[in-house]
Amino acid sequence: MSFDKIRDPRKIHHQIGDMECDYIYTAGVAGERFYIALRDEEKLLATRCENCDITFMPPRLYCDKCFAELANFMEVPSKGVIESYTITYFDRDGQALPEPEILAFVKIDKTDGGLIHRIGDIKPESLKIGTKVTAVFEAKKERKGALTDIKYFKPA
Amino acid sequence: MSKDMKELPGTPVSGKELKSDKIITFEWRPNAKYAWSAGIAYGRYLDELKEGRIIGRRCSRCKRIIVPPRMFCEQCFVATNEWVYCKDTGTVNTFSLSYLDADANRIKEPILVAVIDIDGASPGVGILHLLGNVDPKKIDVGMKVKAVWKPPEEREGAVTDILYWEPMED
Repeated sequence: MSFDKIRDPRKIHHQIGDMECDYIYTAGVAGERFYIALRDEEKLLATRCENCDITFMPPRLYCDKCFAELANFMEVPSKGVIESYTITYFDRDGQALPEPEILAFVKIDKTDGGLIHRIGDIKPESLKIGTKVTAVFEAKKERKGALTDIKYFKPA
Repeated sequence: MSKDMKELPGTPVSGKELKSDKIITFEWRPNAKYAWSAGIAYGRYLDELKEGRIIGRRCSRCKRIIVPPRMFCEQCFVATNEWVYCKDTGTVNTFSLSYLDADANRIKEPILVAVIDIDGASPGVGILHLLGNVDPKKIDVGMKVKAVWKPPEEREGAVTDILYWEPMED
């Protein structure tokens, strides 16, 4: 038997490609209302299940616990408390960021949920779990109906 | 749908609406790049195509010459053990006139697809390729054909380095 030994796999012919698996994700009925209120009115909307005493942020159409339909959307303050955070030096593709970014889970006041978002206007050294923060919105014409319509949360 | 169900629940959204600004959507293309290794046998085959040659492998047991080359004979389950150059001529084994393109669009001029048994390889061993420079009505099984190559400077080590196969003059 004779095998041609390949010592450098890069010398083998490779087919380079890009899988075009594009997708379009819809926000859903509740998501639609949430993002439109965010974009047009700088408001955070939540839904509430009176039965289970849970306020959903981001809003849900159905209660996780009792499956009741939640029809009442209510405005909640666009501020909250840092419940957990991390400092990242790389982007999603593993490329170094010019400036490190602070990402946090912000529990939104008067709700049982929260948002994962950037934290700004603060030195990483002074970050603490429990820091009160408030949303900084993008200029109205820049808003697109996405979570990035909030630029970041800053200390309140 | 169950017979008890009178209407489908949910919120219908048309493809048009999805692409409009009317509803909020998030579009994304995952960064899913790949580098697929052609392996030893197919890799050499592609490199040889760049040089304008067709190469195969001989099976040590059944002595078949296999094109495109493989390191194992799929009939004997033994390693192939010899490189063999084949000719760039062959015979139409089977063919089809396709009035659909690769994206399933209807087309006027058919794409002439054929399996070509390569001269120098064993009978029934061939590659799927295109016919050209021929009247579609005159294509037939058993027709002798010759490869029409890209100019050497445009070849990139792919089966498309052969543009198509044209009938051989008698």
